[in-house]
Amino acid sequence: MSSELSRRGFLIRGAAIGGSLLLGGGLLSGCRDEQASTAQGVSTQSSTPKYGGRLRMGIIDGSKAGDLDAHKPTTASAIIRGFALYSKLWEWSEHMTPDLALAEEVEVNDDATLWTIRLKKDLEFHNGKTITADDLIFSTRRLSDPELASPYLGYVKWIDRDNLVKLDDRTVQIPIRGGTGLLSLPDAWVNFGGIVPVDYHPVTNPVGAGPFKLKEFVPGQRSVFTRFANFYKSGQPYPDELEIIDFKDEYARISALLSGQIDMANGVAPEQVTALNRNQNIQVITNQTHGFQSIDLNLSVEPFKDDRVRQAFRLMIDRQEVIDRALAGQGRVANDIYSPLDPTFNSAIPQRPYDPEQARSLIKQAGYEGLTVELTVGPGLSAVAGGSPVAQVFAAQAKKAGVNIKINQVDAATFGGPKRADWQLSCNSKLGGSFLHTASTVDSFLSSANKTHFADERFDTLFRQAISTKDLEKRTPLVHEAQQIQHDKGGLIIWSFVNTLDLASQSVGGLKPERSHFPTWRFDKLWLNQSV
Amino acid sequence: MQNLELKDFSSVTPEQISLPATAGPIDRGLAEVTEHSSPLPSHVRKKGIISTNLLKWIAKRTLSSILGLFVISMLVFVATQALPSDPARVILGPEASEEATQILRHQLGLDQSLVTQYLHWIKPALVGDFGISIDSKMPVVNLIAGKVKNTLILLGLTLLVLIPAAFTIGIYLALHKDALLDRLAISFLIFVKAVPSFAIAYGLVMLLSTLVFNIFPAVSLIQANQSVWSQLQFMVLPMLTLVLSSLPYLVRLIRGSLIEVLQSDFIISAHLRGLSRTQIIWKYAIPNAVIPAIQAIALISSVLLGGALVVEVVFAYPGIGSALNAAVDIRDIPVIQAVVVFLASGVMVINLLADVVTVLLTPKLRTA
Repeated sequence: MSSELSRRGFLIRGAAIGGSLLLGGGLLSGCRDEQASTAQGVSTQSSTPKYGGRLRMGIIDGSKAGDLDAHKPTTASAIIRGFALYSKLWEWSEHMTPDLALAEEVEVNDDATLWTIRLKKDLEFHNGKTITADDLIFSTRRLSDPELASPYLGYVKWIDRDNLVKLDDRTVQIPIRGGTGLLSLPDAWVNFGGIVPVDYHPVTNPVGAGPFKLKEFVPGQRSVFTRFANFYKSGQPYPDELEIIDFKDEYARISALLSGQIDMANGVAPEQVTALNRNQNIQVITNQTHGFQSIDLNLSVEPFKDDRVRQAFRLMIDRQEVIDRALAGQGRVANDIYSPLDPTFNSAIPQRPYDPEQARSLIKQAGYEGLTVELTVGPGLSAVAGGSPVAQVFAAQAKKAGVNIKINQVDAATFGGPKRADWQLSCNSKLGGSFLHTASTVDSFLSSANKTHFADERFDTLFRQAISTKDLEKRTPLVHEAQQIQHDKGGLIIWSFVNTLDLASQSVGGLKPERSHFPTWRFDKLWLNQSV
Repeated sequence: MQNLELKDFSSVTPEQISLPATAGPIDRGLAEVTEHSSPLPSHVRKKGIISTNLLKWIAKRTLSSILGLFVISMLVFVATQALPSDPARVILGPEASEEATQILRHQLGLDQSLVTQYLHWIKPALVGDFGISIDSKMPVVNLIAGKVKNTLILLGLTLLVLIPAAFTIGIYLALHKDALLDRLAISFLIFVKAVPSFAIAYGLVMLLSTLVFNIFPAVSLIQANQSVWSQLQFMVLPMLTLVLSSLPYLVRLIRGSLIEVLQSDFIISAHLRGLSRTQIIWKYAIPNAVIPAIQAIALISSVLLGGALVVEVVFAYPGIGSALNAAVDIRDIPVIQAVVVFLASGVMVINLLADVVTVLLTPKLRTA
């Protein structure tokens, strides 16, 4: 690991040196002065979209190259390509709530057990075929098919796929089985639910209704798309072509941006951005997402079976310090519960303080003086998945409370492998989303990746009721109580909501900060000012 | 000029080397020396028996290499099973349910016995079908063909610059041993060798692409569907990085081996017999000093074939090294197998070539 660490050190220093040469110094002074979602150096160009050109985006995504499957994108790069190729019934709003896209109208009954979905008129696939209810039924059946072996099946497995009803040429009824509602369906669907034609094949016929059609796909290297003239938002998209280029190294991606080989880079590591903040040629888009970073306690093993130890761990972390040191200040202190943008979020729960003395005494009361625990971290890029900087800062803080933390660094395959739910203590991160959807992916009984082994009867009841309650006023108290339980007894130390940083050259128009993770993925809204 | 003392070598200048030679008397003793040290290819042609023996030897080596390939493919196959986690789990990620992972495992045939899996792989592989990538669902051959090409082109260009540069510098320094330039050059080479290659790479990017000059593209975004010759600008920085990181080793080896040869008995006796300095250096000393360099070039080529990973990462150069690295990371067994078979064959071919050249240059071996 030491070579990797020294390399990382070199990168950070290299970026800082690069920055000071470029910008004439004064770099490290302004790290924390951006409390609001900001866009620095955002184009002063006219905001009238321009047509033409090839928009080039650099992405970085670890070892997996991914494929083009609309319904089981298993890498971030596959999800990003999906934003170009496929349109869904819903699309994410700037606040990361599902807005209607291909769907003209969506009705759900009171207990969220029956969805009625009507498509917009005259929608078209890339191949010119009109989108009909049959395609919607085919897509729904495919994405909920156990044989697809999709990692997302858990979120849609209650769809009663054998009893979908075609009401007319554009309308389909989707019943939910299992005696519970599925109010989180749009939040789940919007990520991986591209509407595709009945003769769809992810390799031989990757046809969708997204803003761009596929021209060339070289896995792990690049994908090129051409403008879809009959996209359902008329007049959009603007560029003639879109190119998505895979990088393995953050510094290479930044170099490509600086030398004009790409136009945009999404989710850039904060320490790289610090050096570029004052570069006049680069737009820095800071998005205050509600994606979170957490340290997960495995409640099924010692010492975390003891509630006092859980409380101690929550008190011994100096959240602001971890944000400053591991995220270069690009985060906001969080209070161990997720989904702050959800209207049902319980903001009345007071923020947990930093109190190493109290933590020390709780550990002592529990009889764990001199406690040593193992914190397992994946290789994550600092902007996305925690990784070792977080672990190191937390380990240093834990010492002040008399707890020894051993860091166990493993590769991604091991981290997410068969032992993924067995780590005693581990780092994690999640994209922002609604309470119900996040709970179904993280720590409710619906989750197939519940690393904390959190299981609480009352919480389960509340969650079951909430996911079956359409009415916001009735649902809010349910979620409030559920979050109070998570805050009191759960296994997640959610220490920060993360800001994601996007970089783009001044020539890219249509970019602005969002509460979502992906203004740079909105390929239907972006354009190129070629004269820059 | 005919009876140069040995110590004079250290202060010899290029002008002296190029002085026209006046041949001295050659007696039986020197004839023997030349017989055993001259690289004259005419010797090979003269004796027909040698080439037949050589061909037999090459055939034997090729056969054992092919057997070696089978063994390697089996070993790698077994090794992939020993890695923690399995392809299905890695591809689907930690969020996938155990049911979904089981289904994918079954679809990929990972629930079958190891022997069955290997046979399923080897049968089509024998006719050039290396299966489908678990990650991207594309035929492995299509997936890696472009990368193999890129790697070979980069390797070729690197050797094209590296070998002449290393020989020129190495020979020059050996002939000017202990001169100021030699001492400075050696210190500089040791410095370059001590710098990790990623630092060289980033240094070149800062110098030639982003901060100081903007001459070459910072990253090598090679278009797969265009000819390489129209994209040579993408090759420059990766090639320079590889040349700079291999140059110190090769230069010092050539310099050292030439110095050693120049001090050996047969060179001294050549001087005593009155051969010209030019003749001695170019006909006798250098051909003998080349032999260790050939093995070193083979070693460098083998390493660059699979190990240009740093360059591939820093310049986003689409080569085979990062493809293998990624495949191992995500347990994409068909890709791992295909790349390993390619690399192993490459290394075997390189070593065979190096050995053949060495044999041709070494009379003792050649006539054995």
